[in-house]
Amino acid sequence: MIEDKLLVFRFKRGRSEALRQIYDKYKIELLKLAVALIGDVNMAEDIVHDVFVKFAQSARRIKLAGCLKSYLVTSVINRVRNYRRDSSRHCETSIEGAGLLSSSERGPQQWAVLSEQLILLSQALQGLPYEQREVICLRMEMDMTFRQIATLQGAPVDTVKGRYRYAIQRLRSLLDGEVEK
Amino acid sequence: MKSAETIKRLFKDAELSVHPDTDERVFEDVLQAQQKVTENLPAMPDEWRIIMKNPITKLAIAAVVIIACLIGISFWRTSGSGIALADVLARIEQVNAYEVQDDYSWTYTCKEDPNKSVNFVRRSTSLTSQEYGWKTIKEELDPNGGWSKFSDVYYLPQKKTTITIFHDRKKYAGEEYEDDWLDRKLEWTLENDPRSGIKELMARKYKSMGRATIDGIEVEGFQTTDPNWSGFPYDPNISGVFKLWVDVKTFLPVRSQEDYIQRDSMSNEGRWHSVVHDYQWDILVDAAEFEPPVIPDDYTGTVVKWPSINEENAIKGLKQWVELLGNYPKSFNDMIVWPPSTFLRLAEKSETPAARRLTEELKGLSAADKTNRLKVAIMPMRCLDRFRILNLLIIWGKDSAYYGKTVTPKDADKVLMRWKVSDNEYRVIYGDLHAETVTPEKLAELEKALPK
Repeated sequence: MIEDKLLVFRFKRGRSEALRQIYDKYKIELLKLAVALIGDVNMAEDIVHDVFVKFAQSARRIKLAGCLKSYLVTSVINRVRNYRRDSSRHCETSIEGAGLLSSSERGPQQWAVLSEQLILLSQALQGLPYEQREVICLRMEMDMTFRQIATLQGAPVDTVKGRYRYAIQRLRSLLDGEVEK
Repeated sequence: MKSAETIKRLFKDAELSVHPDTDERVFEDVLQAQQKVTENLPAMPDEWRIIMKNPITKLAIAAVVIIACLIGISFWRTSGSGIALADVLARIEQVNAYEVQDDYSWTYTCKEDPNKSVNFVRRSTSLTSQEYGWKTIKEELDPNGGWSKFSDVYYLPQKKTTITIFHDRKKYAGEEYEDDWLDRKLEWTLENDPRSGIKELMARKYKSMGRATIDGIEVEGFQTTDPNWSGFPYDPNISGVFKLWVDVKTFLPVRSQEDYIQRDSMSNEGRWHSVVHDYQWDILVDAAEFEPPVIPDDYTGTVVKWPSINEENAIKGLKQWVELLGNYPKSFNDMIVWPPSTFLRLAEKSETPAARRLTEELKGLSAADKTNRLKVAIMPMRCLDRFRILNLLIIWGKDSAYYGKTVTPKDADKVLMRWKVSDNEYRVIYGDLHAETVTPEKLAELEKALPK
């Protein structure tokens, strides 16, 4: 927490090395979150790229009430939701498309390199309703509390817990026999 | 059946890494975005303009400004030894070249282990020349107590080149320009420019620390603990002090120091300490010191070549955009061509012959060849990049406008884009991409005819 506060402070002073440290610290987590949520690695890259660009542009006016990680995670979530909304207007079927290519298929210009486990997990996650997917990703991957997730989703805590339970059950059936050894 | 714990383990085991070259390129974009913010002064809010239209408000504000100036001048001229920070600023403007050292450290409590602290110590030497540009060489204190090279940054306007070498990662990243873009960029990229600290000090509540002697030089000190310093009042847990010492004879800075402490509710502490010292003012510099560095053979990286920012290339970029996507970008913010994968998605959705040719051509290529081909193919549009076009407008003047939302390539008589050339002339690019210079009156007529 202290580390992040200092990073943000230096970043607001225009220090590029602080921006570099923030970028290095959170890029992997944010990319993983975006890939898990939308199942399209190219779009996930664009979203996280955009989140960092917008963050860099906000140096003068950013005022973080909470922690830096929550701010960046919320930024990713908002962009994923916007992307889903925009995509659904044009082509419903493309939203949950299987844009999860292995590193050998994507070539050297790729940014994110996905492990087979992440590809498998992301494919399974696309089988969940989006709200459930969001809950389980934020809980499992970002270690957020149900209360934090409820705030982010604008839903009661009990609803979020319910979504979590359904998501676990559905994931169990989707993954059963494929991963656990 | 899998438990929640097993699924959690699956999440943690699902790894993702990043490709280093692309990662550097993405960060270049992010860094460039940060630098743009540094460059652009905050715009006046619309409410301010409304208030300023009131003649009584204008008079009242003029009176307040005059009184404030008189008080300010009086304060500057009479405090301490009589050194006015405005004079220090003016004196620095006259300097042709200088060198300075910056030693800084950062210590904070480790999040995972509160009994452990994390510390890094770095130092840098910066050489700045109004003629040749600037370079900063950074070193980091390694665990064995020795100094290892961390990074070299060169901004070379004469060579129209920037290059950054990351020694710790054996990477480099460069940019080459066809025009004098870097001259403009240089103004807001001076990492250790003492003017930025002085300007901020002048805008804050500060006090004189009186006279002292540093390295045999008689100086006057100034300090601020203003909570508004660099905008951290949002966090009451940060306390800090900035100090500046100025040579009473030359009016040039001798040393500055920044210290900040932050504590959280768990009494964990973080400390920042920076000392900028050993200023060598008005030194003679050799052009050889600003030669681009030799990059070691085992380092990898990329050099981005930027097209020149001018009317001709803007038209070329817009032309290519229309050929590929069928219409103009609706706003400057829609002119996104980087990274190439983003643009490819737009091209794949387009039904223009050029887009079909391009996507067909790309189909037969390997992933690497596809990206390289695309990078070459979209080069004319790169000066339409959203960041660059914003600067294009600044260069061409703030009285610029773009009407891609309503103007189409068939609109030969409608203004697509315009900017002010002089008080009596505007340059206009029309929907069919022909350009001409018009009077303000003609422009008013043209814009009146635009679809709402």
